[in-house]
Amino acid sequence: MENAIEIHGLTKKFGNFTAVDNISFTVRTGEIFGFLGANGAGKTTAMRILCGLSIPTAGGGTVAGFDIVREPEKIKKHIGYMSQKFSLYPDLKVWENIRLFGGIYGLSGKEISDKTAAILSRLGMEDVRDAFVASLPLGWKQKLSFSIAMIHDPRIVFLDEPTGGVDPETRRRFWELIYEATSGGVTVFVTTHYMDEAEYCDRVSVMVDGRIEALDSPDALKRRYGVNDMDAVFRVLAGRAVREE
Amino acid sequence: MWKYLIEKEFKQFFRDPMLPRIVIVFPIIMMLVFPFAANMEVRNINLVVVDNDRTDMSSELIEKCTESGYFRLKKICSDPREAQRMMDRNTVDAILTIGQGFGKSAVTGDGFPVGIKVNTVNGTKGSIGSQYLSNCVMLFMQSRAGADVASAAGASGAVIDAAPKYYYNPYMDYKVFMVPALIVIAVTMVTGFFPALNIVGEKEAGTIEQLNVSPVSKTAFIVCKMIPYWVITFFMVGMCLLIAWLAFGYVCKGSLWGVFLFTVLHIMVTAGLGLLISNYSDNAQQAMFIMMFFVLIFMLMSGVFTPVSSMPEWARVITYANPLRYYADAMRSIFLKGSSIADVWYDAAGLLAIGGLALTWAITSYRKTS
Repeated sequence: MENAIEIHGLTKKFGNFTAVDNISFTVRTGEIFGFLGANGAGKTTAMRILCGLSIPTAGGGTVAGFDIVREPEKIKKHIGYMSQKFSLYPDLKVWENIRLFGGIYGLSGKEISDKTAAILSRLGMEDVRDAFVASLPLGWKQKLSFSIAMIHDPRIVFLDEPTGGVDPETRRRFWELIYEATSGGVTVFVTTHYMDEAEYCDRVSVMVDGRIEALDSPDALKRRYGVNDMDAVFRVLAGRAVREE
Repeated sequence: MWKYLIEKEFKQFFRDPMLPRIVIVFPIIMMLVFPFAANMEVRNINLVVVDNDRTDMSSELIEKCTESGYFRLKKICSDPREAQRMMDRNTVDAILTIGQGFGKSAVTGDGFPVGIKVNTVNGTKGSIGSQYLSNCVMLFMQSRAGADVASAAGASGAVIDAAPKYYYNPYMDYKVFMVPALIVIAVTMVTGFFPALNIVGEKEAGTIEQLNVSPVSKTAFIVCKMIPYWVITFFMVGMCLLIAWLAFGYVCKGSLWGVFLFTVLHIMVTAGLGLLISNYSDNAQQAMFIMMFFVLIFMLMSGVFTPVSSMPEWARVITYANPLRYYADAMRSIFLKGSSIADVWYDAAGLLAIGGLALTWAITSYRKTS
């Protein structure tokens, strides 16, 4: 089976500043791919390019089989995206947000009502169906956001620090949702700086100063650097950074 | 897809704590307060009279002036220096000096020793005040001299009686003139600012990114943002027309279809411009300032307050790029003169050209990908 993402020589410059410096990697279909790096290492920039939100300065590749430079609008039909800045509409109710994004991705009225029921029951949020999204606790918003990013059954879902600012228990439950999704065959591309989350990934890459310093399964990385957990791996690699945040 | 986006815009509009109220209150204030408050008619001109004649004639003249309703007689004195002091202290706007022998010369017809002095710190009040005052004196002279003047005039040649007849606004009522202009201003303010702030708001909240990463087309995005404002503006124009009718008894002389057609065209311009500006600004402050800048220039250079024809050549050329010029002209023509759409086709053409440009630019400059 073809790879979900294939990237070669990807570079993004903002003026003199090279945010992403000639990175290449592939993500296999159906895996959970962790995209790690310190703040300012270039994770979000790279991810925005993959989602078709940003054009690379050099290099290229494919996402879901479409060219990231020439066919960004085609990519957008087949990916889900959850940004680190929570981005559902706070002044719309829970069901209205689901309905809006269902409609945007071209679902029929019947599909939308089926999806709404399914999402609400899976998240246990039937009671807050008519609540404004602004009134929900952060953990619920994140789960809702993830479910909405998955509403059109995308092939790949991009999660940009999806669990920022919530407690470990809420994070664990969020990852249960991610596992549930991958059992359905979706590829997950996730950035995080929680190293316990990195352990949940099939493979991780660590970005330092815009370059990928290491890319392997968490176990292989721990063996290579002779340490016990991902936290230590990360500190060894991120310690090489020259660039300030 | 369009249906869902439009639905979203409407819901968000009605849930906003401020916007629906502004749309209701703004036209009411515009229509009920401004026609009275911001009025170009000059009344209550404070007058001091220096009467050196003190005859029946002179007091008759003074009475004639004050009963016109435009002047407020502050004092009658005989010392011109005192009158000057009052003007210097800003307690009076005009001095009427009646010279000695006024009564006598009125009888002999030797010309009248009358002087008018006006404070023109406020230019409009000054120049209009001096006109009123000299009109009063002239009328008085005519009525006084009566038969004498007529015979004298008969001897010296023809008397030219130039009595202007005013069309479309027979009493030169400033309110009638301003009502269509106020509708123009209300529409411009609402449709210019709201869409701009709306998009910038989505930028600030980060929600725009969730749409940019979806397959929503640029045209769908922009047009769906505009449609609610179209509906809202129709409602507002309807309200303004209703208020004009209820409060002042003014009805639109031309067809309402014309009013609405031009409103549609004008919204295309202002909303297009608003969206365009929001594409280039990162936050609400930037968008507000830039929009304010344009709206102010548009208003001052549109002929809404001062006639375009009295502007200098270079300024007149600039007004051709001003959408408000076309909209204000069309609205006044339709509302006051009852012009048909065919009569003001050039206004429609101007709006269409500017609107088409603004909207196309707005759609092309909106980038889903940076």
